[in-house]
Amino acid sequence: MPTHLRRSTHSLTISGKTKKEVALSHETSPSSPTEYTLTTLDKLINWARQSSLYPMTFGLACCAVEMMHMAGPRYDGDRLGLLFRASPRQSDVMIVAGTLTNKMAPALRQVYDQMPDPRYVISMGSCANGGGYYHYSYSVVRGCDRIVPVDVYVPGCPPTSEALIYGLLLIQKKIRRTQTTRIWYRR
Amino acid sequence: MSTVTRTLRNLRRVGLKDYFNQMMYIGDTKAGTLIGTDRFGNKYYENMTEELPLRTRWVDYKEHEYMPCQVEPGWHAWISYMVDAPPTADKLLQPGQRTWEIPEHRPNLTMSRAAFKTYSTTRPKYSAWAPVAAPR
Repeated sequence: MPTHLRRSTHSLTISGKTKKEVALSHETSPSSPTEYTLTTLDKLINWARQSSLYPMTFGLACCAVEMMHMAGPRYDGDRLGLLFRASPRQSDVMIVAGTLTNKMAPALRQVYDQMPDPRYVISMGSCANGGGYYHYSYSVVRGCDRIVPVDVYVPGCPPTSEALIYGLLLIQKKIRRTQTTRIWYRR
Repeated sequence: MSTVTRTLRNLRRVGLKDYFNQMMYIGDTKAGTLIGTDRFGNKYYENMTEELPLRTRWVDYKEHEYMPCQVEPGWHAWISYMVDAPPTADKLLQPGQRTWEIPEHRPNLTMSRAAFKTYSTTRPKYSAWAPVAAPR
């Protein structure tokens, strides 16, 4: 097996420094009474945030049809607290569903900038993930992560509504790990 | 839409402990027959007669931090109404039938240390070196 194919198992990083494993945020447990309180407070905040995710309607192409099915009665996004909003100022999640063209890119960025914090972005479908079928087109952005920071990439062309719901569940998982007050306390 | 009589009837059938457990996770009170348990520990229930369509099969997850990826492939086919028979009755849906299967069920490991990271399989065009400063 060539050297460059071997997965690095030794304790040095690529720049020659010793590797240091730091516990991830969700792997640590609270130690002091203050931290216990803040952990509970964080749980409350995260519960409120994760159970009322308002997606921004940003349907660009055929993925939007699957996005509509997700909101429709069969997959019933309402049971997860998903309620599509037409205004970016009222929404938490932006689902970029479809091909992002060069013409649409400034509008996408503006809509993202208008969303209040905390905001999340789901890149739905291979066109939004990396250009997809139109990767070599002269007028298409090769992935919407060139315009906005993306949290979850949903693969597929188009992804099923179930896949999109799973992406939203991953967003909820990410929200559940957010440490709003704990980070504030640490500062 | 649940009714008071349905909730009370199912509460009488499942018991108080399961009632609170179901309200924690499903948000509904359902009574059905236990079809089976997968290797992960999730329990699968079915009630084809009394529940509404597409709500007749449900899962009681083992873990508190539950995710749909914890459902095993055969059970996923059953719970998504792709097949009629559960993996307990259909041999093809059971794990370990194919040589290329991994021995245990592995859920999606994203957002953990075991998450997938892209890596290149081509020979790098340049390599890092440890710089040495010659003494003057």
